Amino acid sequence: MTTAPTAVDVVTAEIVRNGLTSAALEMNKTLVRTAYNPLLYEVQDFGLGLVSAEGLLWAEAPGVTVFLGAMPDTIKTGIARWREDFAEGDVLIANDPYLTGTHISDTSVYVPVFHEDDLVAFAIATAHWADIGGKTPGGWCPDSTDVYQEGLCFTHQKLVASGTPNQDLWDFIEANVRFPPTVRGDLDAQIAACKQGAARVRALCAKYGVDTVRESMRLAIEQTDAAVRREIAKIPDGTYDASIELDHDGVLMDVRRRCVLTLTVDGDRIRVSFDGTSETAHGPINMPAIGTRSSVRAAVKGLLMPKDPTNEGHFLALDFDLPPGLMVTPERPAPCDSYGYLGVVLMELTIRALSAAVPERCPAGSYQLFGVYLFRVDPREGPPFIFIDPIDGGHGARPHGDGPSLIFMADGDTPNTPIEIVETRYPIRCDRHAYLPGVEGAGTYRGGLGIVRDFRVLEPGTYMQCAIENTKDLLARGLEGGGDADASRIVVRPGTDGEVILQERTSFFGPLAPGDVVSVRSGGGGGWGSPLERDPDQVARDVRDELLTPEEARRTYGVVLHESDAGVRVNPDGTAQLRREAATRKGAEQRS
Amino acid sequence: MTASTNGYRVAVDVGGTFIDFALLDEATGELTIEKQPATATRLAEELLTGLGRLPVAAGEIGRLFHGTTVAINAVLQERGVTVGLLTTSGFRDVLAIGRGARPEIYNFFYSPPEPLVPRHLRREVAERMAADGSELEPLDVDALDLEVEWLLGNGVEAIAVCFLHAYANPAHEREAVERIRATHPELSVTASSEVATEWREFERTSTTVLNSYIQPPFAAYLGDLGGRLKSAGYTRPFALMQSNGGVIDASRAAQLPIRTLESGPAGGVIGARALAAELGYADVICADVGGTSYDVALIEGGHILERTDTKVGGRPVVGPGIDIVSIGAGGGSIAWIDHRGAVKVGPQSAGAHPGPACFGLGGDEPTVTDCHLVLGRLDAQNFLGSRMQLDVEAAERAIEARIADRIGATLEQAADGILAIAETNMTYAIRAITVERGLDPREFALFSYGGGGGLFAAATAEELEIPTVVVPRAPANFSAWGILTSDYRDDAALTRVRPFDPGAIAGLVSDLRELARRATTDLRAYGFDESELDHHYRTDARYAGQEHTITVPLETQWVENEHALLAGVRERFVALHRQLYGHGEEDAPLEVVTVRCRAVAQVGHPRFPEWHSQGPAAAERARQVYFRSTGGFVETSVFDRERLARDQVVEGPAIVEEWTTTIVVPPGWSVRVDRLGDLVLEHGESR
Repeated sequence: MTTAPTAVDVVTAEIVRNGLTSAALEMNKTLVRTAYNPLLYEVQDFGLGLVSAEGLLWAEAPGVTVFLGAMPDTIKTGIARWREDFAEGDVLIANDPYLTGTHISDTSVYVPVFHEDDLVAFAIATAHWADIGGKTPGGWCPDSTDVYQEGLCFTHQKLVASGTPNQDLWDFIEANVRFPPTVRGDLDAQIAACKQGAARVRALCAKYGVDTVRESMRLAIEQTDAAVRREIAKIPDGTYDASIELDHDGVLMDVRRRCVLTLTVDGDRIRVSFDGTSETAHGPINMPAIGTRSSVRAAVKGLLMPKDPTNEGHFLALDFDLPPGLMVTPERPAPCDSYGYLGVVLMELTIRALSAAVPERCPAGSYQLFGVYLFRVDPREGPPFIFIDPIDGGHGARPHGDGPSLIFMADGDTPNTPIEIVETRYPIRCDRHAYLPGVEGAGTYRGGLGIVRDFRVLEPGTYMQCAIENTKDLLARGLEGGGDADASRIVVRPGTDGEVILQERTSFFGPLAPGDVVSVRSGGGGGWGSPLERDPDQVARDVRDELLTPEEARRTYGVVLHESDAGVRVNPDGTAQLRREAATRKGAEQRS
Repeated sequence: MTASTNGYRVAVDVGGTFIDFALLDEATGELTIEKQPATATRLAEELLTGLGRLPVAAGEIGRLFHGTTVAINAVLQERGVTVGLLTTSGFRDVLAIGRGARPEIYNFFYSPPEPLVPRHLRREVAERMAADGSELEPLDVDALDLEVEWLLGNGVEAIAVCFLHAYANPAHEREAVERIRATHPELSVTASSEVATEWREFERTSTTVLNSYIQPPFAAYLGDLGGRLKSAGYTRPFALMQSNGGVIDASRAAQLPIRTLESGPAGGVIGARALAAELGYADVICADVGGTSYDVALIEGGHILERTDTKVGGRPVVGPGIDIVSIGAGGGSIAWIDHRGAVKVGPQSAGAHPGPACFGLGGDEPTVTDCHLVLGRLDAQNFLGSRMQLDVEAAERAIEARIADRIGATLEQAADGILAIAETNMTYAIRAITVERGLDPREFALFSYGGGGGLFAAATAEELEIPTVVVPRAPANFSAWGILTSDYRDDAALTRVRPFDPGAIAGLVSDLRELARRATTDLRAYGFDESELDHHYRTDARYAGQEHTITVPLETQWVENEHALLAGVRERFVALHRQLYGHGEEDAPLEVVTVRCRAVAQVGHPRFPEWHSQGPAAAERARQVYFRSTGGFVETSVFDRERLARDQVVEGPAIVEEWTTTIVVPPGWSVRVDRLGDLVLEHGESR
């Protein structure tokens, strides 16, 4: 066992740890400000981190949670490949899902950081590329049957070796992607971000000494692990599980696959297992083991220590059973381009499972990953473009308040695209960007509202692709008596004879005609607590705000309202009586 | 107008706890400083009380400049009026939905700030502009009238109008606003195109709504103040400090209070620039150390670094302002131990009540000020000119019980460790504003002011290897002095995305001329002549395909020469991109997104009186002071700043005291008094 730290060590460790966190934030700024791809500069679909020479996470910047947890494992597979053969000036590239944990579009670029001749750390930037070749423009292939169909695969090649670019590899990349200038620009941005991080680590080593930096982070990780275990010890021992059925795997459309997550809390550790989970799917809905582990880690970290700057210490108290061959532990060459649905599922199931043990820390379920692509790839129809739009939706209600409408759980600091930018950049007009009430789960606290964006296509040759899952067995379930939400949907040409309602993902829907409207409508969040206990004044405010009709207020919340010139007011006697009747009726139903 | 005004100029800086006054005799350059306690509810009255204590009558004052926290406090404390919002059909929820991001990515209970306008007061009107500014659908004036009446019937006290693409074509917004003003001349109405002409509908709506939210109370405050000033004999117009570092006339500020949000910190930065120009420093880091916050800004090549948007209380504000990075670190910052056992400092502050433990007002948590006291840097008997007696034992008890005992350290180790963490937090703020922009802090001088400026100056400079530190005269009142040095400024901006090539250059030039006309109109209304105005142009450019832009300054004469404009912008853009991000292609296609113009009307800058040189002063006394480099207490000479002579040099370790603050000169550092009486601290190796 190590000796107790001295006071000076506590201070130095804090200074070094803050230094690494601020270095990761500088990497973030550089990537966002120089990227060419809206998924990076606007939607911020990336992760950035600093990882020790042994592959332990030292610091990260806000991004997509699943990338962040997967970055240290990506470095570990790189170390397994190159061992001692990293050199100053190297830039490496990896995106093989079986080495990086997510899908092939998420390309990791990293550099080794040396202090004198000593390998100290790695700086890594994982980012969703605008295109990676493969059968579907922009990635997110909904129906691939092996990983080879999904795009170009990198397995820790040296893009730059000791400062010399491997020009053949750069040329090869540009020859194999659909939007080469964008990909090239993003790659430059990733490298610039890594170099920024590397320079900061070198400066810290020069100032405090490389041993002090290592020792400080060892101490920070040790302190963090101890704190995590103290939090776990507060959770009652026991086995907590949750499961869900997916709509389909993209290839076998009538097979409903299950994901079962079991968390066993034993003292100050948690065991994570997947007994009962379906075997590897035929379609691309699988998630490699590295990503599976990362998703559960992110959810547990969020429940236990949401605001702590992340390091490896947040993950050490989790033990995983990951037998190969499941949907969550596929083996090469199983397809995994639509891995993101399981990423959200695993985070939501972790929260749902632990809500039985620590309800005060857990929100109700939120909407599943949802997004739309509008694109044109054939230059004979007009200039090619691709507009990728992840849609915000309803988050679960909290034990102390209504759920908000934000980006889905597995994403993070990822802002939506302003309409004024969409209309400037693409041949698309937006008729509406608004709340979509009625899909949220009711409750003492109601779930977050859905969001609607109505896009009007202006030019020929435009196609649509969409990402959607869990429309039958919803993630957005209520807690403690709160109601479930409704799922996301896309309505093409709403209100016309040609109206089509889509709740299944599709890759080339179209061509759409100029004037066609694609109405993208996200699902809501689950409610928390019985709707009969919602503050009647809050119900009145929702009616006033046209988020609820007076009839719904009566039927769902047992609130009687009257409208006058002074606004919507609660009728207290009528409400009390209605709620008494509803409670009696409920009691009778439970007895019978 | 510039040269003709002689007499007295007064700056008034209203802060959280004090109103600071600076009076300048423009003939002699003589400066008088005054302070008056501030109470949020009686600011105008107290301002007049303080003004009355100045040695000149109000009627003799030639020019009055006013910096204020009235606007920002109304926003932060959510004490605005009930606002109604009119939007394009289909977009009333933009204000509430915002950008949908979860910046605290692991916090499953994260919620963005509530919209300031509830949904029933967000009303839609049929109208539509396209991204290129062409009209798709005319404004439905009948619907507009109905919605306005509905809003007024529902208690609205101000109306904000934000239509899509109004930055490209404001015609519908203008039509709507004129119509509302015609029928309701007393009502507060703000159109988005009056506060921000840049794209991104959420950010622009948020800015417009915030302006409406604080406009009526802000205008009432200025009206009250104007009336009182008049009664006291001051009948000239007065001007308000803006976030952009210039002043605007009170009548315009009353319409656009959103422009004064960072009025206070801006004063210090403007003052630093004036002083730096006088002393010959081109590159300066400005650090304002207050009780609760540490505000850092940058002067590069003589120019203040600016930004085009910011957030206040989590709500976006679009508009030009000095780029100020603020962190929660100051004299009142509280030290604590987190769940991992690590020592943290701030952002919580003990404020003025209960204040640091040593104030003896009931605070029992250790603060940065307590640490300075325990380490001998502050004099318990001589704090704020002996107006306050400090309780050393209370400070010791707080540090021992809350920190030292829990990490197994001595009192001194704990106090020094807390200060070390506060100092590194401050250095990260400086890093954020230099290194993140590709600038090396070692090439800058540090100007350190505010109440705690002298306590942290040398320590932060040493951490960042900054060779020279300047602590100006009366550093605690430096922001008020800075306001004296500001000019009248008006900004105009316009977003119009276009390729940066010969084919589009004529359109760009015509936009620049239009902006100059707009920025000039208001300044001319205050009586400045066209010949007294300077124009500064900038454009936000990017590589075609990128989203984020870099603001490139233009030379004024480029507007007359398209060839020079094409070559000059490209050269500067590529150089900036390389400086910021380490790469940048010379020939790749560029786009310009937003063009900007600032009109400046200079008012005569104050002269800098020379410092006395009546023989070097000896130390007043000595006391034991702890320094990290010596690892213990050493006998340290204490000097009275007022008695130090011009060019006198004192070797550290030393302490220099003045009425409102204390300056620490650690071992290895020296302090020199320059010709204006500023203290210049230099590290041994760099002398």
